[in-house]
Amino acid sequence: MPMTTATTAKANTSAKFMRSHPAWMHWVRHPYFLRGTLVALILYALFLLPAPGAPAALADKLNLGVFTVLVLAWSALILADGDRPDWLQSIVAFGLVGVMGWLFYRYSGAHWDKLAAAFFDWGRLSGSWWLLLDGLKVTLLIGLISTFLSVLIGAAVGILRTLGSPTLNLFLTAYIDIFRSIPMAVLMVVIFFALPYMGISFGSIATTVVALSIGYGAYASESFRAGFEAIHYGQIEAARALGLSRWQCMRMIMLPQAIPVVIPSLTGILVSMLKDTAVASLVASPELLKRARELYTSKASPTPLVASALIYLVVIIPLTRLANLLEHRMKKVR
Amino acid sequence: MSDQTSPEIMIEVVDLHKRFKDLHVLKGISTTVKRSEVVAVMGPSGSGKSTFLRCLNRLEEPNSGHIYIEGVDILSPYIDINKLRTEMGMVFQSFNLFPHMTCIQNVMLAPMHVRKISRDEAYERGIKLLEKVGLAHKADAYPEQLSGGQQQRVAIARALAMQPQIMFFDEPTSALDPEMIGEVLDVMSTLAREGMTMVVVSHEMGFIRKAADRVLFLADGLLVEEGSPEEIFNNPQHARTKDFLSKIL
Ligand SMILES: Nc1ncnc2c1ncn2[C@@H]1O[C@H](COP(=O)(O)OP(=O)(O)OP(=O)(O)O)[C@@H](O)[C@H]1O
Ligand SMILES: [Mg+2]
Repeated sequence: MPMTTATTAKANTSAKFMRSHPAWMHWVRHPYFLRGTLVALILYALFLLPAPGAPAALADKLNLGVFTVLVLAWSALILADGDRPDWLQSIVAFGLVGVMGWLFYRYSGAHWDKLAAAFFDWGRLSGSWWLLLDGLKVTLLIGLISTFLSVLIGAAVGILRTLGSPTLNLFLTAYIDIFRSIPMAVLMVVIFFALPYMGISFGSIATTVVALSIGYGAYASESFRAGFEAIHYGQIEAARALGLSRWQCMRMIMLPQAIPVVIPSLTGILVSMLKDTAVASLVASPELLKRARELYTSKASPTPLVASALIYLVVIIPLTRLANLLEHRMKKVR
Repeated sequence: MSDQTSPEIMIEVVDLHKRFKDLHVLKGISTTVKRSEVVAVMGPSGSGKSTFLRCLNRLEEPNSGHIYIEGVDILSPYIDINKLRTEMGMVFQSFNLFPHMTCIQNVMLAPMHVRKISRDEAYERGIKLLEKVGLAHKADAYPEQLSGGQQQRVAIARALAMQPQIMFFDEPTSALDPEMIGEVLDVMSTLAREGMTMVVVSHEMGFIRKAADRVLFLADGLLVEEGSPEEIFNNPQHARTKDFLSKIL
């Protein structure tokens, strides 16, 4: 074949170069080797694997182990090879997940039909969905109020810290350190069960809101502090030199510059908080997890718990995506 | 005031001291600045020039001494410092424009929210000032879209928008590339010609010769020497001054 273009010439020289300087075990990357071993693996799967069911004999266990290692090794040849195209790597990755799932399904010895009946017994839930949705409503209500309050507390504490008064800072730092260290579950239980002895008692929902707001307010204030610290000191001097009061300077110069820095981390914090609303079931707030556990007991089935997990996923995944998106946006803006 | 024939005193500084913890930065500075006078402040790095300037509008609180602006003791606790600062514009080495606002918003901010003039009036005034510094066409640009020289001119316009009696400049050109220094100094020379009272920390000899009425030479927190630019540049008396000038010339 006559070489017509420069690219073929170049490809040729590099091929020649590789022939005279072969990499160690270069043949494992050869398409023929990969195709051949793939066929061998498929044949292995079809004819040599033990019968379904948890393997009892040592030989069967070894057999499965060898097969698993071979499959992993073969996938690694593709996945770890930077020269392979993306589409091939995705096919292999998904294929690997599929094969592993298939092996687990075939050899774990689980009674899948019974499991499905227990975990995904949607029929049993019929007529009780409203309870879960009621719980979701309470969860969202708690989340919304606590979001508002904790951002308010965070901003207030963050702003107070910019005043730079040592005494005030001592108290604020104490607040932040204490409430970032206490686990949310402990905080709620203390507020709900211990504070009444001091004559302070909240209902279960109020307890949840107070605990989440105070606890996450501490986190939020750290976000705000980082936001304010990112502002160049010259900005404040310029504002003050123009005659703006401290509060005007905060409102017109500092907050607008801090907020783009604060929002991404704040969104992350608020997502964590929404997840922590589940802790409220400890103090009997009628939120989603509490409802699911009630149903779990009354129906004697884990399906409601699975359903609540799915509901959390559906609500929280979009929020997490949103948080990531905001972070991306804000990075571009700056 | 206008019937007075002798030039009135704008700024009077008496025995000004400033310490940062153990560091005695200003060790008793006394001087006066008359209306429409342009005073240049020179001195080696760390001699306290910025600190001196920043004491004049109380961005730093002096430890002792007196500062009178138009006869008013500005260190008195009964002074509303925010009101007072509106009489004194300040231009910084690093421009310090507000990055989240356009140029015109930067210029309008203080007149609207401190002087409480209407938005329309502030806009009109702002555009006029941007025209004056040659940047009316950049009114809607954000600071980061401007060159350093342009940013500094906007910063000057922003300070002028408060219609101050006095302008302070702290090394306004030392963060600029050489080709942009001229445009900023031109604006400052115009201001000086128009009769603005100015205190300028700068080492731009050409500008000082042309525009300044008097030079203060600071070293180690003391006012070592003062005089007209000719006196200071051509015939310095003090060893520190001679030494310093020989280094920058
Ligand atoms: N906020 C501060 N805290 C502590 N020390 C300070 C502070 N500001 C200035 N200083 C110190 O005071 C001294 C004088 O500083 P100043 O900025 O007034 O000098 P300068 O003459 O303006 O110097 P330069 O030409 O480098 O700007 C320096 O030693 C500096 O380190
Ligand atoms: Mg300085």
